[in-house]
Formats: sequence, structure tokens, C-alpha cells
Amino acid sequence: MTDNNGLPEMPFRLSRRQIISGMAALGMVTGSARHALAQGPKRVIIPEGEFAPLPIAIPNFVAGTPADNEVGVGVTQVITNNLKRSGLFAPIDQAAYIEKVINIDAAPQFQNWKTINAQALVTGRMTRQPDGRLKAEFRLWDVNTAQQLAGQQYFTSPEYWRRIAHIISDQIYERLTGEKGYFDSRVVFVDETGPKERRVKRLAMMDQDGANVRYLTRGADLVLTPRFSPSTQEITYMEFGQGDPRVYLFNIETGQREIVGNFPGMSFSPRFSPDGQRVIMSLQQGGNSNLFVMDLRSKSTTRLTDTPAIDTSPSYSPDGSRICFESDRGGKPQIYVMAATGGAAQRISFGEGSYSTPVWSPRGDYIAFTKQGGGQFSIGIMKPDGSGERLLTSGYHNEGPTFAPNGRVLMFFREPGGGGGPSLFTVDISGRNEQKVPTPGFASDPAWSPLLS
Amino acid sequence: MNVKVDKTLVASVALHVLVLGWGLVSFSSKAFDLMPEESVPVDVISSDQLARVMAGMKTGQKAPTPLVEKVAEAKPVEDAVGKITEKAPVVTETTPPPAPKVEEKPVEKKPDPPKPVAEAKPKEEPKPVEKKPDPKVDPIAEAIKKEEKKPKPPVQAAKPPEPVKPKPERAFDQSKIAALLDKRDPSRQAVTGDTLNSNAALGLAKGKAADNSATWGALFQAQVERCWKKPYGGIEAQKSEAAFAIKLKRDGTLEGMPVPEGTPATPYLRVYQESALRAIIECQPYNLPAAYFDEWKYFAPVFTERKT
Repeated sequence: MTDNNGLPEMPFRLSRRQIISGMAALGMVTGSARHALAQGPKRVIIPEGEFAPLPIAIPNFVAGTPADNEVGVGVTQVITNNLKRSGLFAPIDQAAYIEKVINIDAAPQFQNWKTINAQALVTGRMTRQPDGRLKAEFRLWDVNTAQQLAGQQYFTSPEYWRRIAHIISDQIYERLTGEKGYFDSRVVFVDETGPKERRVKRLAMMDQDGANVRYLTRGADLVLTPRFSPSTQEITYMEFGQGDPRVYLFNIETGQREIVGNFPGMSFSPRFSPDGQRVIMSLQQGGNSNLFVMDLRSKSTTRLTDTPAIDTSPSYSPDGSRICFESDRGGKPQIYVMAATGGAAQRISFGEGSYSTPVWSPRGDYIAFTKQGGGQFSIGIMKPDGSGERLLTSGYHNEGPTFAPNGRVLMFFREPGGGGGPSLFTVDISGRNEQKVPTPGFASDPAWSPLLS
Repeated sequence: MNVKVDKTLVASVALHVLVLGWGLVSFSSKAFDLMPEESVPVDVISSDQLARVMAGMKTGQKAPTPLVEKVAEAKPVEDAVGKITEKAPVVTETTPPPAPKVEEKPVEKKPDPPKPVAEAKPKEEPKPVEKKPDPKVDPIAEAIKKEEKKPKPPVQAAKPPEPVKPKPERAFDQSKIAALLDKRDPSRQAVTGDTLNSNAALGLAKGKAADNSATWGALFQAQVERCWKKPYGGIEAQKSEAAFAIKLKRDGTLEGMPVPEGTPATPYLRVYQESALRAIIECQPYNLPAAYFDEWKYFAPVFTERKT
């Protein structure tokens, strides 16, 4: 009897002991594991610091020969201006520099730059070569770690010294922000002169900083909505000629222009596809307008929408797979997205007021638009699915956003109201750093080119 | 139409209505209000960590308020820990008679006799007697002999004669139980005072927190942020993080270059890491509390955009 009772108890007691010892072992294991985890250095979290422009020192580029002094100073000024206008850099006034002339071939005296709180330093030299070309060298230094971050040299014709300065600016920008630059790019816009009743509108082009303005048309006819080709030196725009407004193609280098397609009725709001092979635009048919795409080589035209509404302002996504456009099919003008081959469109703007002139960012992350409502015109951005809408600037009249090649900056035109005319402005897609772009006269309808290099 | 009404049913319905009605009125009269309270950050820690945090410090300051365990008239006790007091011998009939003094004597004498052969002979055999027989022996041999002799005494001493122990007879007198009780006053007395205070004299409850990084970490953060020019980075910036391992000297300067953890995967992450590195270098020396030097001499600042 006692045996019978005792035997079945044995395994139970053993197992309980095993459990206890097992738990103890487990405790030791986890305890030691925790100990091992605690071995590393203590982590101190520094969360969400403020965005701040980087203090950068750009002493004048050294002249390789005495004749290069002027161009050295000029290049330095262009770089300083570019970086300052970007809002991401705070160039330090040259008057504060302890060291004025830098030997580019040796490591700088970093202590001198640390003292004036510079975190980055640009040194450079311009030298005219015996063959007449200009050699530009630059080095970008990290003052605190005493390391060279970038260094390049370029050869060019002396008259292109501004482009060299823009290219160097892009190098600095890219190395210090981690993003592509946009300084070596151009802007085409509509230059407006004369009194308001008889305003002369000419197609003009300039560097993104407002320099080197060139006029592409004479101003006899009204021009609107110029757009850069992403791959060729061509512009497409709408011009009011003798008859209906038509979409034209303009070659910047040769000055030649041609009508895109030969359609009855008016064609307007053209834009290139990302590969530059097609032009998408609106064609008016009766009281409606629909979207069409034309292949520039084969001249074949495809209809993309067929609605009893006004569909206009189409813009491709950077991968060319989708199109955003403006349509009043739901009543007020709103932004829609559909496949590049047409088909069902999805409305993405749902705010109060009406939305127009959508533009897809070259980065693909945002669509910029003009929003009208509450007696104001605003420039805003939203994600391609319609979320994250954000207004960057509002006022009497802001319109026509266009993205910089890196998708970080928008240019648009603003009319202050009253007697004045429109002028061009840039704003960061965060809504900060609004800057006026210098133009000779009034200017509207800007379109940013892709990077030239 | 002759409907017979059950009185009990009526009474039951009436009572229910009354009770429910009262309940509706009395319970619904006041909404359940939650007083707004200040939120307090809470961390889950293990009992082990708690023990470390709560441990007092040997070098700690005297607590400004004395330990108080009971609310009563203030009567501070010098040493809260119980003292060992002499125990008065309890005399009962069964107590063994006091041990004879003889018992202890041999123990006291032990060191004296070099060679106690018997208990009665210690004084009759002084050392000089032993030395006389061989005075001509060279000093070295003598020293050796001495060395040999020296360890001996303790061995010999270990053999004291067995004291005659009277065998205690175990007897139990029920009527004397009370006498066995310890009638001393309790030596451990509760410390009384006006307000309860559970902090012991040395150190505070939070005296030796294992982690004071909240204190000096915030100081470090405030200082390094002044130099941090965070690059602006659009959407992808929201996931950025850069960690370093840094060693600081006592004066708050870096002992060496901060060591970044891992290599950045994207150009923006690289720029982000570099900006943080610049900030760490530029903002030295760091002014951190010297008391926690052991903690901040080696730590890992983590610059992050990730929202926790």
C-alpha cells in the first residue's frame, strides 16, 4: 500500500525539483543576459534637434595668375549666393575671417575656422591655362574633423565661369545635405513688360539664380505655360497666334519652333513625358476638353480621357506610369490621378475650394498645386495619394508651381495685387525660406529645367 | 371584467418601481468625474534594478529629516538597530553550578610553559635550565633548535587536562517557566516623530540610483544641441538615427574621436551622422556633474528622428 502510494509520487517530486532547478537556471541565464545587455555604454537620446543652416566659410578663390583675380571673386560670390539662397547654409561674412588667403594645396589651419564657428570650409583656385581655358579647383573641408569631404577640378571656357560656380555649388550641396543639388539648372518663364492693358509677353530663359537672361520670342504673340523637356534642349508652350491657341515646340539651341500636332480647336497646357518622347496636353472639343498624348516621333495621338468636363494641366509621375491632372468632373476643379494609359481616375484633393495646376515632383514624393479658396490663392503640396496636404504660401495671387530638379524647392509666381505685376519666388517644400528671384521685369509662369550636367 | 388583482404582485411592482426609480435619481445625479492629473512618466524596472536604485550610499549625506516609523511624541533614538545587552543569568534549580575556576587556569597558562609536561610542573621547568646543558653549541644550531621548539608549545598547549565537568542534570520545573522568559526591555525601539519618514539616515531613497543619465544626459543633450546643425532631409529624414560611442575626460573634453555605430546606408544618413559628429566635436568641453563622472566617462549619444 505504502509502496503504491510512494511510487507515483516519486516522479512528481523529481519533476518539481527539476522545475525549480530549471527555473533557477533560467533566472541565471536571463539575469546574465540582462547583464550582458547592460554591458554597452549608456545610451543618451538626443531627439529631434532643430533644423539649422550649416555655417560655412567660403573665402575668395585664389587666383592662379594675377589676371584671374576677378573670376575667382566672382565664382566665390555665385557659390555663396547659391548656398545662402537654399536656406540650408549660413555663409559666414568674409569680414570675420581670420585667414584671408588660403593655400589650396595644403590643409587649412582649422583652428582659425573653428574660432569663427565655421563647420565647413570651401577653398578653391581659378587658373587660366596656356590654351585659354579656365581651370577651377576646389576643396570642401570639414572643420571639426579636419577632413576633406570633396575635391574636384574642372576645365571650361572662361565665359562659362558661372556654370562652373553652379556645378561646384551643387557638389557642396550634395556632399553636405545628402541630396542632389539644383543650382546648375535654368528657368524658362514669361517675361512681362509694358502697361497692363498692352502687356508684352515674351518667352525668356535664365539661370536659376536670375543671371544670364535670354529672350526666346519677340513678344508679338501671347505665350503661356512654357515647359522644359527633361532630356532635350526643347521647350513646349502655348501661344496665341492668329487663330486658336496652339501648343508649340521650341528648340533652345537652334531657335526653331513647330506646332505640336494639327488639331481642330485649341490645344493647351502641354507637358513633356519623363523620357521627353511624348507631349501630353489638353484639346478642346466643344465645351469640354480632354487629355491627349502625342508621340513626338511618330506623331500618333492617343486620347486618355473622354468626359463631359474640362480635364487639363496633366503632369507625369517621374517614372512615367501615372498622370495627375485637374478636372471639374465633380463640380469644382480638383486633382485626379490615373494611369498613364488612361482609364479610371481617382480624385486625391478633398479640401475646401478648388485645386489646379498639379505638378508631380521629380522625386515622386509630392504633387504641388495651386489652391483657390477663401479669396486667396495658395501654393501647396500633397502626397500622390492625397494625404499630407500642406500649404506653403498664401496670398492675393500665387500660381503655377514648378519643382527644382531635386524636388526640394518650388518656384511660382505671385501678383501682389494693385498696380504691380507678377514676379517669381522660390520656397522650400517645408514652407520655409521664401525668396524672390530677380528678373529684369515682371515675370510669370516659371518652369524649372532638369540639371544641365 | 372581474379582474382579480394580486395584492402581492402590486406590492412587488410598486416596490421595484420605487427602488429602481430611487436608483435612477440618486445614481444618475452626479456624473463620474475624473480629476485631471498631471501625467508622470513611468518606467518598468526589475526588482534587481529597484534594489540598486534604492540602495543607500556609505558616503551619503545625513538625511535632513530623521527616520520616523511611528507617529508619536518625538523621541529620537540614537541607533535604531537593536543593541546587544548583557543577559542576566537566570537562576533556576536546574541551572548547573558555576563552572570551577580551575577550568580556565590552564588556558591562561598555556603560552608560558615551553614544555608543560604536567599541570603541576609549569614553574619548575624554566627555560634557562634547558639551555644550560649545551652552552657551547654554535648559535646557528641553537637558532635551529629554537625554531624547532617554538612551534611546539601550541601543540602541547592543545592538550590541557580535561576539566571535570559536572554533568548537568536535565530537570524541568513547570512552575518556573516564567523565569525562563527574557524580561529585558526590547532594545529595538521604534523611532517616533511627527511625520513618517522611511528614509534611513544614510542616503536617500533615490540616493544611489544606478542610472543618473536622466540628469547628466539632459545636460549633455542641451549642450550638444547648440552645435548641432541638423541637415534638412525631407521624408526620409524621419527615420534617421546616428549613434556614437564617446569617451570623455574629467574636464569634459573628448578623449578621442567619437566612434560611430555602423555605416550609414544612404547619403542622407551619412550627412546626418556627420552633422552629429561635428556637433559632438564642436561643443566640447562638456560641463557635466562631476559626481556622475563614472557614468558619463563612456557613453553612447544617439541622435534620432524616430519618435518613440
